[in-house]
Amino acid sequence: MTGNIYFNQTDSQGNPQHTTNEVQPNQPAQHITHESGQLTPGDVFPTLLGNLGNHRHISFFNADISELPVIIYDSKVGFHAYSSSSSMVEQKLFTMHQDAHGHFHPPIRRAMDNQPVSMDLSVTSLVVFEWIAIIVVVFLFGWVGRKYKKNPTKAPSGFQNALESLVVYLRDEVVLPNVGTVKSAKTLLPYFIGLFCFILLCNVLGLIPGGHTATGALAVTGGLAIIAYFVINITAIKEAGIGHWLKHLLGGAPIWLCPIMIPIEIISMFVKPFALTIRLFANMTAGHVVLLSLIGLIFFFKLSNGLGVGLAITPISVGFSIFMYILELLVAFLQAYIFTTLTAVFVGLAIGEHAHEEHAH
Amino acid sequence: MDLGTLGAGLGAGITVLGAGLGIGRLAAAALEALARQPEVAGDARTTMIIAAALIEGVALFSCVICMLLVVMK
Repeated sequence: MTGNIYFNQTDSQGNPQHTTNEVQPNQPAQHITHESGQLTPGDVFPTLLGNLGNHRHISFFNADISELPVIIYDSKVGFHAYSSSSSMVEQKLFTMHQDAHGHFHPPIRRAMDNQPVSMDLSVTSLVVFEWIAIIVVVFLFGWVGRKYKKNPTKAPSGFQNALESLVVYLRDEVVLPNVGTVKSAKTLLPYFIGLFCFILLCNVLGLIPGGHTATGALAVTGGLAIIAYFVINITAIKEAGIGHWLKHLLGGAPIWLCPIMIPIEIISMFVKPFALTIRLFANMTAGHVVLLSLIGLIFFFKLSNGLGVGLAITPISVGFSIFMYILELLVAFLQAYIFTTLTAVFVGLAIGEHAHEEHAH
Repeated sequence: MDLGTLGAGLGAGITVLGAGLGIGRLAAAALEALARQPEVAGDARTTMIIAAALIEGVALFSCVICMLLVVMK
């Protein structure tokens, strides 16, 4: 859930200061500015949903805290890093669209030929929230881990208990039953605990008003799924051997079926992480979209039917929003659990028959 | 309101039909298993959640497609 909802803020200039480049046809919907600065009912939902994306600044509700660094690699201009978007625009090497509120919006373009840059590696608000999640996870586990090292014989106390029960639950209910062999389960346990805590924190940080959901971006979930892909296949190769992994591509079918089976198995190898990506992204985005739509109904009815209808719809809207918020809290935990469990199941599937052979001996 | 938006809305609705039917049947079967054998509650719940996530994943694929129809026209 992001904070910047700009309604009825008439900008006195009428036209914002984006003289360097005209409004591009493929600009995201969030910078719709009318001549009057007033929103029409049709703009309410695009404006709200535009706020779900990445931002070039950190803000808490409507208060901007700071602009974020910009890192650009371009095949023609080279590698450039700036401390903020405004300092980038001041250097006049690159241009970026700036809206009436002084916020910058991608794409970044080269100033010389007005083409988008090859790679925009900037730190965005979602990256900052990922960092927050990472710092919290590392701090909590470091702190609790030190406690265990100091007093290995003492019973856990306070927050230690909570983390221990989480770790034990993940080990006994998620990793050990699903990952085929005990050896690889022990090796992979830290990965699964880190994965679960990171996703859970990202999800929950997005539910704090004013926060951003890092897992509501395809880049983040895609990155997690790429790591999962390598974990799945490298574990399978290490556990069962490369020969068995190649045989796995046949899917247990007779050899003459290989023209059909090998493409199918290769596709299914890539579909698994892709499904993980989309599932987490869509679950986290869908809840926010519904929440924003419910809140947007208030503004929609106010703008189209007048203040009275807007006021009348408010209790209904807020009631459903609270319901959705609680549902999202459930989904935040459930999706972290499902991502972790499914990764464990896929590891177990990839190791597959080898584990059973081991039991038979 | 063009045909793409209409298609997206219809698509989302039909997707919800399929996903709802799938998860509903899944939950019914899990509940039946629980009633017959309460001692497998933990296993049945885990398996149910995983299967529900897989069904939901397919439904969300199509929801993303519907969203793309509206957003990227």
